Amino acid sequence: MSTVGVINLDNLNGGQRLAVKYFTVAVVLFAAQILFGMLAGLQYLYPDLLRGVLDFNVNRMVHINAMVVWMLYGFIGAIYWLLEDESGTEVVGLRLGEIGFYILTAAVTVVVLVFLLVQWGPGTDTTLWFINEGREYIEAPRWADIGIVAVLLVFFYNVAATFMKGRFTGIGGVIVLDLVALAGLYLAGMFYTTNISLDQYWWWWVIHLWVEATWEVLVGAIMAYGLMRTLGVRRKIVTTWLYIEVALMFGAGILGLGHHYFWIGTPQYWFGIGGLFSALEPVPLVAMVVHAVYDSGVHKMKNSNHPALAWLIAHAFGNFFGAGVWGFMHTLPQINLYTHGTQWSASHGHLAFFGAYATINIAFFYFAIQKARGNVWMSGGMPGDWRWKWSLALLNIGVWGMTIAMLVAGYDQSQIERAINGSSWMGYFAAQSNVWFVQAMNWRMVFGWITAAGTVLLIWDLMALGRGETRKAPVYLDEIEPDRVSGEPAPGPA
Amino acid sequence: MIEPVHLDNFFIAFFSGAMVVMAGALYALLFAFSRVHGLPRLMIAAYGAYGLLAAAVLTLAYALNLDGLWQAVVLAMLVGYLLAPHGIWHLCEGTHEHQPDGAAPAGGATPDNVIRQPGGN
Repeated sequence: MSTVGVINLDNLNGGQRLAVKYFTVAVVLFAAQILFGMLAGLQYLYPDLLRGVLDFNVNRMVHINAMVVWMLYGFIGAIYWLLEDESGTEVVGLRLGEIGFYILTAAVTVVVLVFLLVQWGPGTDTTLWFINEGREYIEAPRWADIGIVAVLLVFFYNVAATFMKGRFTGIGGVIVLDLVALAGLYLAGMFYTTNISLDQYWWWWVIHLWVEATWEVLVGAIMAYGLMRTLGVRRKIVTTWLYIEVALMFGAGILGLGHHYFWIGTPQYWFGIGGLFSALEPVPLVAMVVHAVYDSGVHKMKNSNHPALAWLIAHAFGNFFGAGVWGFMHTLPQINLYTHGTQWSASHGHLAFFGAYATINIAFFYFAIQKARGNVWMSGGMPGDWRWKWSLALLNIGVWGMTIAMLVAGYDQSQIERAINGSSWMGYFAAQSNVWFVQAMNWRMVFGWITAAGTVLLIWDLMALGRGETRKAPVYLDEIEPDRVSGEPAPGPA
Repeated sequence: MIEPVHLDNFFIAFFSGAMVVMAGALYALLFAFSRVHGLPRLMIAAYGAYGLLAAAVLTLAYALNLDGLWQAVVLAMLVGYLLAPHGIWHLCEGTHEHQPDGAAPAGGATPDNVIRQPGGN
């Protein structure tokens, strides 16, 4: 029975109930990412802090892996969220999907505990399997890798079989094809080689092609659904844009991979290929900004879920600036020679991951809250709406501030460590002790606290927003009768 | 094949790289607003932004010592960004041609796809 203003999972369909579980773990991991990021940031300022207890390398590893995993949880949750809505039928193999969720969550818990408690001793073939695979960003041991692939295959089955049984929309088609690439590319990071160049070559297949191709395409599909649900944008419009973004992302993203190959001993033709397609990578981001501005303008910003729309807009601009502007500034090899692996990369990484992925996941958390509370009113005049506005502001100010601080630090490193001192040890220490670098790290910490405050407020808001509200939000007709609005083929036999 | 950036050109390289994307976005936005609102004067500003883009690209090419094949990249970027908004505009017209004029009602939906809930506001 539908109830308004209280969280009641009966308000949700089966896929959405499973999505809420994914979202819950995602929020917990988000909080963990912030906590361990703060600890790592403090250790830049106070190197002795927790030395021998919780070392920098462990904090950094948990910070980064929590980020990767919570985003994956968010994406999986978002797809389960829209699955029945888009396909017009119940999720196929939902029970299997739930088992997959518990297996994945148990595996993530064990891996985090191992990261925290067992990171000492020599690295051998055994540790590769049980302790740490040693590949930055994807450090999970081999047993967990296999488990992740198995769970993703179950997820793929759920999604593909549901769309096959019901209605295969444009958004559905893009998601299914993208999941093939998402699962397939992960395998490239799972085989072991002792040659560091060869290892890096394949490692980039996961890191770059996940982030700059499959994840971008996935958020394009999720964004398309989000625009329909918040602004009532017609399906034909979002689908057309989605196809173009997919073509541009895959077209530019795949060969743009070459910009990571400059310095690992690959043939010189990668310089030209990587440079050319890196130059094209901002194009879909420009299109995305125009898209968001156009759609918001057409609908005069009136919508059924203010926090979700605000985070979708933050996504469009964050993606453009973080991935586009910050990425292109230091992509080409003539300048990347100096910036690669400095705080400049961290500056780009923080804004790009937050702008492109954290934002859109948070938007979906707000979709979930709205519907779990019985499609509660979440537009103008909400009680307690200061919380979501302040958390939005604090999180964006915090991440932008950290980005600028790390930009200054990265500039210092590029100049002093790389350009002037030729990447020597002396240059490294000269850059690390330079006043600009030290000040930048202090500012990074200040903005880290602001980010943490925004996160706490966000979690509070997710638990409180809409409580006691009795007004209901409008319902779009295509939520009830998709064919009447979309003009797409009717669902297949149920 | 490549000559690294000279120390003196560090800031120029970063700044012009950022301006390439910013000016490209500004050109696209001004172009779109000019067409949407029928303001030809904005189109002059749009092409002004394109001029800024071209200047940023050329400055970047100078700072990064772009020679040989890289010059083809520069040319392709300039021609591509000049033509892209025209193509995107035709696409926008095509996808929005059946959409009713005016804005959506409260709640953001177009009139033909929204219903109200009993007790809703």
